Amino acid sequence: MNEMQTVDRPPGTCITWDEKRKEFPTITGDEQLVKRVWEEVDGLGYMYIWQVLLSF
Amino acid sequence: MPSEMEQLYQQRLKRYVTAMRNERPDRIPIRPFVAEFTAKYAGYTVQEVTQDYQKAFAAARKCAADFDWDAVVGNMVYGWSGLTQAIGLKYYATPGIDIPPDTGFQYKEPPEEDAWMQPDEYDLLIADPTGYLFNVWLPRVSTDVTPVGEPSTMQSNLSFVKGGMAMLAYFGAFGQQAAQLRAESGTVSAISGILKAPLDILADKFRGYKGMCSDLFRQPKKVEAACEALAPHLLHVALSGSDPDKNVPITVWLHRGCPPFLSPGQFEKFFWPTMKWIIEELWSRGHQTLWYAEGEWNPVLKWIRELPEQSIIYHVDRDDIFEVHKAVGDKFCISGGIPNDLMAFGKPDDVRDCCKRVIDGVARDGGYIMDAGAIMQDDAKEENLRAMTEFTREYGVY
Repeated sequence: MNEMQTVDRPPGTCITWDEKRKEFPTITGDEQLVKRVWEEVDGLGYMYIWQVLLSF
Repeated sequence: MPSEMEQLYQQRLKRYVTAMRNERPDRIPIRPFVAEFTAKYAGYTVQEVTQDYQKAFAAARKCAADFDWDAVVGNMVYGWSGLTQAIGLKYYATPGIDIPPDTGFQYKEPPEEDAWMQPDEYDLLIADPTGYLFNVWLPRVSTDVTPVGEPSTMQSNLSFVKGGMAMLAYFGAFGQQAAQLRAESGTVSAISGILKAPLDILADKFRGYKGMCSDLFRQPKKVEAACEALAPHLLHVALSGSDPDKNVPITVWLHRGCPPFLSPGQFEKFFWPTMKWIIEELWSRGHQTLWYAEGEWNPVLKWIRELPEQSIIYHVDRDDIFEVHKAVGDKFCISGGIPNDLMAFGKPDDVRDCCKRVIDGVARDGGYIMDAGAIMQDDAKEENLRAMTEFTREYGVY
């Protein structure tokens, strides 16, 4: 529970790119592409839980 | 050259948008919020339209075409049970399973002591609303999702896969539904995007109404902070589903912010600050909000009047629509106001008389959309909907 209080999750985000980025020692190619796709798909997870709350 | 149906659609869209901007279109647009009524009219049970959304969509299209309405919602039957069952949501009674097949779904609020969010958990929610939803709230409201720290199960894993896939399928189908409404009957999809008031969602899905009322007295600062923590997320979700062309509004489904659920003083202190902020943010981005004022909101009209001109469409349920028009009609379009009990128990002549009074008193200068006060379920009579529709089409011409 304490872990939850320190996590930064702005609207639209489940796991921020800054947090995810730490899992990759290096990114050999286009990091912005990896970031963009990560954020787009991560946003679907965000939308899932908030839509369950609001629409169902 | 656009097809005849496309021309009809464009004509209706212009009529509907003009009225929503509180201006005068060629005639009063007709945009009924019809839910279980569509099932009865199309020959389905309530169970069928709740569990099989393609039948619900077909019923909505049939009504739109047969009644020749200007705008409808693609599916007004709330909460597709295919998805709620995939996730194992505990708070619904589903037609044909928990309740009779011809009864509309019911929301089951747990006893105060079993609320989905406990009174000492405000800090967790405030610090990380999304984390709280995944880690605490979802395992409590679902029969399938295992709590964090407990061994996962196939049932728990499946709930996310099935729930996610079902949600994509359902929401994706609305695009096709809108296209079919446009192509088959020239009907406008009336709304886009969902919004709830922060205090409403705190009461509905977290603390329960009784728990929220206790908290207003026992820990009021926490309630305010929770509303402030929720508001940016509710804004984000509203924008994510909004109309990119900014023609049709995002709907805020209101229900517990008005007396007697809250006093005007509580409304001002707890409900209004974050609600107002969200609507102003939406309007600053060019999106109108359909203020679906379920219940009686006249005691708090002076606050609603603070909103920017044209930022909302004020939908009247049980209020005196003439008082609403007097108080805010110069700033906002008004919709609804034809009592649901009249639609259910009245006669067509009574409906026509009521529509005439409303049109004469509220719609003379435009800025009015014809509809009943609240979402129409299967008690609304077909002949009364026909009376409302046909009278407005004839008498509501400018």
